[in-house]
Amino acid sequence: MTDLLDYIGLGMMAVMNGPALFEIGGIGLPIALVMLAAGLFTGIAVGATPGLAGPMAMAISLPLLISAFGFSPDALLPVFAFLIGIMKGATLGGAVPAILFNLPGTPDAMMTTLDGHPMARNGQPRRALRIAQLSSVAGDSFSDIVLFVCAPFLAVVVEAYLDLPEKTALLILSISFIAAVMGASVGKGLLSVSLGLVVAYIASGNDLSPRLTLGFDALDAGVPLIAAILGVLIVGEILATLETLWRNNRALDVKTEAHGTAQDGLAPGDLKRITPVVARGALIGTVIGALPGVGSTLAATLSYSICARRAKRIPDAQPFGTGAPEGIAATEAANSAVSGANLIPVLSLGIPGNAAAVFLILAADSIGGFNPGPAVFAMPEGETNPQLVIAFGIFTLMAIGNLLNWTVGGAVMRSMSVLAKVPATRLLPVVLLVSLTAIYVQETSMFAVWATLVFGVLGYAMRRLAVPVLPFVIAFILAGPLERSAREAFAATGADPWFLFSSPTSVILLLMALAALVFLGRQR
Amino acid sequence: MRHPSLRLTPSRMLGAVVIVLAVLALLVWVPNDTVSGYVQSKRGRVSIGDAMAPGLAFGLMALSGALILWETRKSDAPGQPDPRGPAFLAVMLGICVVALTVMIWAGPLAVALFAPDETYRNLRDAAPWKHIGFALGGTGLVTALVCLVEHRFSRLALLIGLATVAVLIGVFDLAFDDLLLPPNGDQ
Repeated sequence: MTDLLDYIGLGMMAVMNGPALFEIGGIGLPIALVMLAAGLFTGIAVGATPGLAGPMAMAISLPLLISAFGFSPDALLPVFAFLIGIMKGATLGGAVPAILFNLPGTPDAMMTTLDGHPMARNGQPRRALRIAQLSSVAGDSFSDIVLFVCAPFLAVVVEAYLDLPEKTALLILSISFIAAVMGASVGKGLLSVSLGLVVAYIASGNDLSPRLTLGFDALDAGVPLIAAILGVLIVGEILATLETLWRNNRALDVKTEAHGTAQDGLAPGDLKRITPVVARGALIGTVIGALPGVGSTLAATLSYSICARRAKRIPDAQPFGTGAPEGIAATEAANSAVSGANLIPVLSLGIPGNAAAVFLILAADSIGGFNPGPAVFAMPEGETNPQLVIAFGIFTLMAIGNLLNWTVGGAVMRSMSVLAKVPATRLLPVVLLVSLTAIYVQETSMFAVWATLVFGVLGYAMRRLAVPVLPFVIAFILAGPLERSAREAFAATGADPWFLFSSPTSVILLLMALAALVFLGRQR
Repeated sequence: MRHPSLRLTPSRMLGAVVIVLAVLALLVWVPNDTVSGYVQSKRGRVSIGDAMAPGLAFGLMALSGALILWETRKSDAPGQPDPRGPAFLAVMLGICVVALTVMIWAGPLAVALFAPDETYRNLRDAAPWKHIGFALGGTGLVTALVCLVEHRFSRLALLIGLATVAVLIGVFDLAFDDLLLPPNGDQ
């Protein structure tokens, strides 16, 4: 217990005692805190801009951050701080255009439009924004607390009870689950997973001669990680959205902004009305967020429908869809609660569950010195685990991020409403050039830029054929650990071809993988 | 009139193509482009070879194709794929390819024309030479895409392109000494 408290203290000190970027009134502001605030404000701005999303901003800023802070372990906390700030800010900012313009800034804010915009149209935009802010930050804070408690616990359990065959089976379960729950069909989910695995296996084997290169020298070092991920996730999205905008010139046009009346702002009794709804939404979002691949849109939809159904049973309750505060609260609490819980599988198992988590893993992978997984939470006798210090540093940053969101988040949200008027037709080509430049700066090779375009086309085609893209990215990241643990398990069991069935735990995990594919797929 | 279960829809076409490609990869690509096979034995120690993981991945791909066909056996969204989609994609890619080509060659061309005694490699870290390709290609990329999507040419699109390039040069090139804008790291 004392060791644990020491590590928590070290994590907090790592954030607070870092080098100061500048001083205010003689007091130095630690660089990680400055980066956190900068990321948070950037995230709110990005969320408030239709056509942009948190992962897009994380993708563009990652090479810049690495250029600025370098590849030493000292860079980890400032880089994570900025990325976590974007992650938290974008969830909050997504509500701004949803409420003011009936235009969700992020996909998970879609349900916020249902009650947020009617309330704004009724002359109470500030009230709607304030309810969204309070609910969003409450959901996020609850989810973070669950993360702080569960991630170390889960990591310790995994490390203590799972051996190599079980760890292989766990990776198979994660990939199967993601394939089953994402997208229009299990078949398409599995196709996305298999494509991610194949691309990751190019030139990544143990033989001296690299595999699957088709004789191209340029592929000898494998497919650049950043090109594959940014190509499919970001460039593919830009190409598909540009096509939608070209077909329908007014697809993301901004409608008239709703203006407030004299009675705008939180009404008496609002907090009492939304508290139980926020609690329920936060719980739903946290449970859904802890499952890899299940997104915040599902959490928001589920929370909204449950609350709407309950409201129908109460005789004098304001109907949902007419500007009910409970409608906004249910959605915002649930979609924000997903982000913290999403990091449970990332930090404890090294398994990313959403696009934001992918970029945190990418940052850790690029900088080095921090490998998300059970080893992060190990407490070796007589020595300090620097990864655990970083993990508690991340938790500290998340808690401070929530504090900023509680205090200044609302004012920043309101000031960003002007960004919703920036047309996506002009913004997305700029984002494309920024992304390609950022990739070049990191890789210093035009091959990476061309590869990004090729993966962009793949991402575009996947979207048009309703093949989900996130399983591709997650499989691409997990392909290496999966092959490595299978090789080690095979060797450790004396070349037993049935090593995956060698223990009851791994058999149960494999049966769960099969059940996920059969039952979760059948429900759609 | 063909029976609905036999109608060729985009998803069914995808399922069939995936199966054919996965089987071809399993039979031709994987065996010919890996050295150690599925399982290898070295000095009496048996271990997993480099072909195992890609082999299983392509097996999974074939299975996914079969599942897609199975899932669409009764009904699938009918309709022809809109030919305007691929055509628009081709135009966007054309713009990207031309812009990147300009980015790569404009600098060396400018050096050949205006500083024939030098090579671009020697000048790739000297203004204005190092900015010529990026400025022309980047501005062209942004301007052309904005004009394409908005169905009209506008001076504002050109200004957006120029401003983006200027900001990127400021952020990457002026702020960091060790960073190279495209295409200068390859030259």
